Amino acid sequence: MFPSLNLLPSLPPWGWIALASIPIGIVALYFLKLRREPVAVPSTYLWATTIEDLHVNSLFQRLRRSVLLLLQLLAVLLAAVALLRPGRRGDDYQTTRRVFLIDRSASMSAADGPDGRTRLQTAIDAVGDRIDAMDDDETAMIVAFSDRSQTLQPFTSDRTRLRAALERVGPTADRTDVRPALSAADGLANPRRSSQVGDTNDVQVAEARPADLLILSDGGFGSRGGGAVDDFSLGNLVPQYLPMGRSGTVNVAVTAFSASRDLRDPGVVNVFAAVAGSGGDQTLTRTATLRAGDQFLDAATVEVEPGDTAELSFQIESDDDLRLSLSLDAADALPLDDVGYTAIRPAAPVQILVVGDENTALTTGLNTPRVAAISRVETLPREALSGDAFRRRAAAGTDDLIIFDRCRPADMPAASTLFIGEVPPASSAEGGSWSFTGPAAPAAVVDVDRGHPLMRYLELFSLLIASARPIEGPESTEVLVEADIGPVIAVAPRDGYQDCVVSFALFESVEGETVLNTNWYAERSWPVFLLNAVRTLAGGSEVAAAPSFRPGDAVRMRLPSTVKEVTVRRYDVAAGAGGEVVETVTIGPGGLFETTATDRPGVYELTAGGRVVESFAVNLFDAAESDLAVAPELSIGYEPVAGDFAASERRYEYWRWALLGMLGLIAGEWWVYSRRIS
Amino acid sequence: MTAVAEPLLSPELLARLERLEFVSRKVFRGRMKGERRSPRKGQSVEFADFRNYVPGDDLRMIDWNLYARLDQLFLKLFMEEEDLHVDVLIDGSGSMDFGTPTKFRTACQLGAAIGYVGMCRGDRVTVAAMGPHAAAAPVGRGRAGLPRMTSYLESIRPVHDVPLHDAVRDFLARRRGAGVCVLISDLMDKAGFETALRMLTGRRLDVFLVHILAPEEYDPPVRGDRRLIDAEDGDRVEITVNTVVLQRYRENVRRFIESVRGFCSRRDIVYLPVRSDTPVDDVMTRYLRRRGVVR
Repeated sequence: MFPSLNLLPSLPPWGWIALASIPIGIVALYFLKLRREPVAVPSTYLWATTIEDLHVNSLFQRLRRSVLLLLQLLAVLLAAVALLRPGRRGDDYQTTRRVFLIDRSASMSAADGPDGRTRLQTAIDAVGDRIDAMDDDETAMIVAFSDRSQTLQPFTSDRTRLRAALERVGPTADRTDVRPALSAADGLANPRRSSQVGDTNDVQVAEARPADLLILSDGGFGSRGGGAVDDFSLGNLVPQYLPMGRSGTVNVAVTAFSASRDLRDPGVVNVFAAVAGSGGDQTLTRTATLRAGDQFLDAATVEVEPGDTAELSFQIESDDDLRLSLSLDAADALPLDDVGYTAIRPAAPVQILVVGDENTALTTGLNTPRVAAISRVETLPREALSGDAFRRRAAAGTDDLIIFDRCRPADMPAASTLFIGEVPPASSAEGGSWSFTGPAAPAAVVDVDRGHPLMRYLELFSLLIASARPIEGPESTEVLVEADIGPVIAVAPRDGYQDCVVSFALFESVEGETVLNTNWYAERSWPVFLLNAVRTLAGGSEVAAAPSFRPGDAVRMRLPSTVKEVTVRRYDVAAGAGGEVVETVTIGPGGLFETTATDRPGVYELTAGGRVVESFAVNLFDAAESDLAVAPELSIGYEPVAGDFAASERRYEYWRWALLGMLGLIAGEWWVYSRRIS
Repeated sequence: MTAVAEPLLSPELLARLERLEFVSRKVFRGRMKGERRSPRKGQSVEFADFRNYVPGDDLRMIDWNLYARLDQLFLKLFMEEEDLHVDVLIDGSGSMDFGTPTKFRTACQLGAAIGYVGMCRGDRVTVAAMGPHAAAAPVGRGRAGLPRMTSYLESIRPVHDVPLHDAVRDFLARRRGAGVCVLISDLMDKAGFETALRMLTGRRLDVFLVHILAPEEYDPPVRGDRRLIDAEDGDRVEITVNTVVLQRYRENVRRFIESVRGFCSRRDIVYLPVRSDTPVDDVMTRYLRRRGVVR
């Protein structure tokens, strides 16, 4: 069937009103003619008589006989026709419904299209052409997706609304997951049934509405990374894959970037980076420049083979907080992944409360310079547990870590805890309670979970324990140290806090005298364990690498409990030294900070009272997104969908001819006019 | 008006004009003896009638042959030959200053030629431009009057607003008696030409109307949107000249000429439409002769 001619008005209603007033103005001007050439004649006697003869039907005579006016009105008419944009579509679809799935993930920002246009811009143009070519009885829906799906415009035949929705499609730095977008289209085309399959009384809840599914993407998604979505059934959807971009586009990306202080020399910062190359078949050479803010620190040349990864390391000296960026000099198709960000986090002193009898080993361990640099320690006697002051303090959450030495409170405080020689009170945690599961007995360490931050750098196999009892915690308890009698050190989360239990005390009172229960106090591992506890349980740190998140990730962090509100400021190579304020966030109970405003890469600093209290980085760091290869075909529900690389459906427009005709009329009108006045 | 170096009448034309004679369809009384018959019986050689002698009559007029036969005294009467009053009125309004050559120039040439014909026949000739210059027009008789007449015509210029009937009234106020009046005009007077012609015919003048129009008035070279400015009264007419309007205009010119012709025909006025670009030689020797104005 030959597609019918349709119109695509390109003016708003007021524009048409203005256009309609132009012919009226021309006719009015024609009669008001301000410019008449004066000519002297012997007498106007005979001319006046002639005009009188014509006065009877002069208006229509003028309108009918004036070639100039006729040409001008025709020119305006043709201009109106051109603005109506008459045209017809060059192709037909199988259905009258269309679902446009537009990939706006990070890889779609690759500028490898014609005239340096990005893949996303090319996709938007292609969808725009198809919207323009739609017939009046056709409807379409626009869904933009990255790792999330957003329905920008539900089904409508209103092309103006579709175009407005299309203008809202912007690039993101997110990863790609087409599944949510497919589900959105699936919900319409394949309505679910009201009850179980096989039920003979089942009725379909809605009428199935077949639709053409147009996927505009580079195919960088799916379980196998090559445009494959297996666990999805197309049903009534008729898929069409329009690949965006071209294969073989060269890209070099920073896929990892981190910094940390040297343990032995805190004044030295070790910086590590990984650079991945893709596309082409030649070795890719780039210069990587390391900067702290705007200040140049170091640079290195990196050579990477396509499909391979090269590693870089720098060592810089600095005692301050740092916002670091590593940028690759040569611009490629995807600038988004040419820069990596990280930060050295600032020191944040945490509040530690020790409750219990005098314990020299504990006091000494908390007074080491490393711990003292990041914490403030207060001590309360065991008797204080029963006082109202402690209860209020515990409920207020002013402390980041409370250490209960051979004692325990009636209720768990709003803080992380470390119990030594005691277990938390019963029913204090979801999924069970802490308890001793056996009698006290000498214990020998059998296993240590070295992977846990609390156990980092600890050597415990020389530990001698005179008396310990095995412990059992709630469901999510992690056993850190297993002895021959059972678990003796364990940790479990609780409402955003962590509770660590050491089942044996350092000292015990025997008949009124204090005797040693373990030799741990004399081991090197004891102050290190306390340092780990302060860092891990209290969230305190001296200087450490800021965590890195993916764009769009939700970030949750524990801040010192004294901070009530922070301002989030983002820094990147484009924002400059001042950065830009992203948002102001009120800190939740227990110092919990949450944000989802992480759409753009950069270093995010949280400041309170003019002081930086925390920082984190947002980076693409996704090899799949940085690999700009275009999938030649998709596989949806094991059904191959070949890429239609030549698909460039355009609307056959006729407005240019109308415009040319209008120009011709104007030229003709000018020629007639010139002849008259000459 | 462009300056014209050549004389109004060329020597060749003058030579031809000398052989012409102005034909008046009416016989008028004159004051001086001329070369024309007069209703008054006189001393010419042309016999007119007899009448009885009464005392006091000139004895030289008695027909003695009749007395011998009839024995009664009869006077033999002869036709008296008298001069003719010829007035040539040239329209001196601003509308005459148009055309190539201008209507006024052609009118002056025609006026001079007609006047010269009259002078050669001993007629009493006045060629005057209507308007403020009319009073200064010389009266000529005989060939000797030609230089004064041409000098007068060369000296005058068309003036802007001279209503035709006012000019004719002024002429008639100064003019006594009958005679021949030749009016040369384009008749472009918004008040109409009829009153002026009626005044002329009312004085028993033998009226000749030379209606002179320029070629540009027959076929105006005007197109498009124009503001027409009247040369006499400054009147303005805004008009869009297209083919239809031009056709209407030409039709109006034709009807105008026909209306003048009809008016003249009803009042025994000889009507002669003349284009300003027609050579005066042709007008005098062919056109006027064919129409019986001269012989």
